[in-house]
Amino acid sequence: MHRYPRWPIHLMLSFICTLMLIPFVWVLKTSLTGENIFTYPPSILPEDPHLFYYVDVWYSIPFFRYLINSVIVSAIVVAANIVLNAMAGYSLSREFAGKKIIIVLFLSCMMVPFQVTIIPAYLITKELGLLNTYLGMALPLCSTIVCIFVFKASFDAVPKSLIDAARIDGLSDLRIIFRVLVPLSQSAIATNIILAFIWSWNNFLWPLIIVRDQAMQTLPLGLSRFLTVVEDTTGALYAFCIMVLLPGLIIFLLAQKQFIAGLTRGAAKG
Amino acid sequence: MLRSILYNRYTITFGTIALLAIVWNVYVIFNDDGIVVGHVVTSDGSPVENATVVLSEKTLLVTSPRDKTTTDADGRFKFSGHDIYHVYLEAYKNGVGHAPQKDYHLYFKGQNLYLSESLEIEKTQ
Repeated sequence: MHRYPRWPIHLMLSFICTLMLIPFVWVLKTSLTGENIFTYPPSILPEDPHLFYYVDVWYSIPFFRYLINSVIVSAIVVAANIVLNAMAGYSLSREFAGKKIIIVLFLSCMMVPFQVTIIPAYLITKELGLLNTYLGMALPLCSTIVCIFVFKASFDAVPKSLIDAARIDGLSDLRIIFRVLVPLSQSAIATNIILAFIWSWNNFLWPLIIVRDQAMQTLPLGLSRFLTVVEDTTGALYAFCIMVLLPGLIIFLLAQKQFIAGLTRGAAKG
Repeated sequence: MLRSILYNRYTITFGTIALLAIVWNVYVIFNDDGIVVGHVVTSDGSPVENATVVLSEKTLLVTSPRDKTTTDADGRFKFSGHDIYHVYLEAYKNGVGHAPQKDYHLYFKGQNLYLSESLEIEKTQ
């Protein structure tokens, strides 16, 4: 039983949600009609909607190639994030000398923007012979500090007795991580998948620097190239935006429950 | 176990997408002969024989002519084997007139197109 009526809050939230959704609806509407975005008065519903701008995009650029490139890079990033971050998160959930220093270092590194480290990152990738490769594109995002802390928070919530029992049964640290802790951390995995996928999917600057071959370009690079080649087709441009956004949106909507649980895991600990 | 793998939102969503992609591709395979069929008539509806019909391709950047044919005694014309997704059709006959360009968006390259409306030649004065 609530002391106050809930409907004003819901009304306000609905209004704010509607406001937040307007740009997305606008993009979707323009991609279906191609109308000028400065048309006045603006219409809420699309008039004579069609999918031909999507067809234009599909055939004007090697969209499928870009899509496959983006999927491969994102798959590498997601897989690497789950494996590496789970191991890093496990080590941070254990006690060892210098743990606090490492955590402070991790937190400090979060404040360093990627643009600052881009030259050393490029030189390292070049020395590894990974320029213009999928692995090279995925490398800087293979482990992210935020996701390490998501796993750490999730592993911290697992009773120590369970890990001790696994150790008594003779399991190594690696098997404790992947046989005991990871199966108990579904929300952390979902958070890792979503964050890693979205960061990788939207990554523009790093692929722009290390990719030289047009056939290796990802969707954000394709969008940029599309903009430079085709300047006066609002409908096709917005259709492209929707096609780039859609996979990330689907992944997020599918896993949003675990994602939110993963982000708030540990918040109420103790 | 199998039930939980099959009946979860991930399998259903991606399975549906895969199914739609398969159905779409099957539809495309059976409808991508690149056939364009139509009629050329005068403003009073009578068919125009020996009118020239030009098939052009329009992309986001350029429009370029791809094929040309002439109509038969019924004013009927037919193209086949094109691989265009945005078709421009234009018809004319020397001494009779000219039909303005009409564009037709298609959903895939080489989609068969059977025109319901005829190309209407406007007589020159």
